[in-house]
Amino acid sequence: MTDPAPSLAKTIARRDFIRKAASGTVIAAMGGGLYTISDHLTSEAKAQSRADGRARVPPGQRVISALKPMGGQAGDPARSSVKIKVHGEVERPLELDFRELLGMDAIDTRADVHCVTGWTMLDARWKGVRVKDLAEKAGLKDSARHVIFESAHGYTANVRLDEGLADNVMIVWEHDGRPLRRPHGAPVRALVPDLYFWKSSKWLTGIRFTRRDQPGYWETRGYSNHADPWKEERYA
Amino acid sequence: MPEGDAPATPAKTQRKKKFKWRPWLRALHRDLGYLAVGLTFVYALSGLAVNHIADWDPNFTNFEREFVLEGPLPDDEQQAAAIVMSAAGIEETPLDVYSPADGELEITLETSTLFVATKTGKVYEEGQEERFALRAANWLHLNRGKKAWTYFADGYAGALLLLAVSGMFMIPGRKGLMGRGAVLVIAGIAIPLAYLAYVGGP
Repeated sequence: MTDPAPSLAKTIARRDFIRKAASGTVIAAMGGGLYTISDHLTSEAKAQSRADGRARVPPGQRVISALKPMGGQAGDPARSSVKIKVHGEVERPLELDFRELLGMDAIDTRADVHCVTGWTMLDARWKGVRVKDLAEKAGLKDSARHVIFESAHGYTANVRLDEGLADNVMIVWEHDGRPLRRPHGAPVRALVPDLYFWKSSKWLTGIRFTRRDQPGYWETRGYSNHADPWKEERYA
Repeated sequence: MPEGDAPATPAKTQRKKKFKWRPWLRALHRDLGYLAVGLTFVYALSGLAVNHIADWDPNFTNFEREFVLEGPLPDDEQQAAAIVMSAAGIEETPLDVYSPADGELEITLETSTLFVATKTGKVYEEGQEERFALRAANWLHLNRGKKAWTYFADGYAGALLLLAVSGMFMIPGRKGLMGRGAVLVIAGIAIPLAYLAYVGGP
């Protein structure tokens, strides 16, 4: 038997499709709403403040419980290949291998980190040395104004000198009591907790102090040059 | 004899024949469409994967494990590494065996690293396995290779523009730009504009 009204059947099928698509959208949206309501980590942390008076969680961020791998072109993961250069506007350029890094006064600390994609991890544990101490060891010149973190395959990230020499800015090789993992920049990465996390270059190869600012990989691709999470400086 | 009844000569018929551009446009759209299939899959799948990079690693699956070996390991790094590798069931040759400090041994493999506390026998392995197809697609999409790929990517972008423009004029009438087509084109342009207005611009 042939369909007596094929055009009517088509219309009904179309309506059915639209109805189902609309239902799916509503269910997905409700799921998102429920997810937001159930985000205890974020709601609890949002009630807290930092010692400097700023909110513990910067605006637009969601708290998660573990670092997420955010990609990038990995460097050599072997600690034996580590050669961290400290150069540029310094009196005594350095090239430190992993044993020499371990020989410095390592600090085991906790710091919150904030990714530009919207996640924040609180109280992440890190072990490494302060950039400030490396600068002092290399004899930082007065002419230095910026810190450029250099990584494998030419990746760089620029930070203002005063922010690069803050007490919580480090180069680290352990996270949560374990060696830094490959997706998180093993063997050594930078840690600049108070700026968006892309400034914390993974697979670190050097720290260069410069007179003039030199916007890095993401900074020349539409992302903020400064990257303050509390001002939501995500994009240029 | 009325003029209209005069038989048409072949030359006159050819002169009257109008050039029909739509079939050519459809043919161009069709063939460009075929050509764009491969790269559309590459860019679309990679776009989906990388858009959600905060939720998963689009290039690798990451793994870690821990185990403990019995007793202290020998002082000789190579011997110790061989024991660890054997216990871990790994047969490949290490890229590197390195002792950064007393009591610590690091064995670097192609896709993982074993960190060994030689005095306690504790071994921690962390590594990652490549998602081959997605990683290749992401590599192309993000133009990590640079050089020649830029030209292919530019060509694909040009092809997409041609597909969009030719698509608008393929069909005449109510389903074309004079009707439903116009509504859909306006909707497609309005969506990003409305979003920009909603978020207050870039």
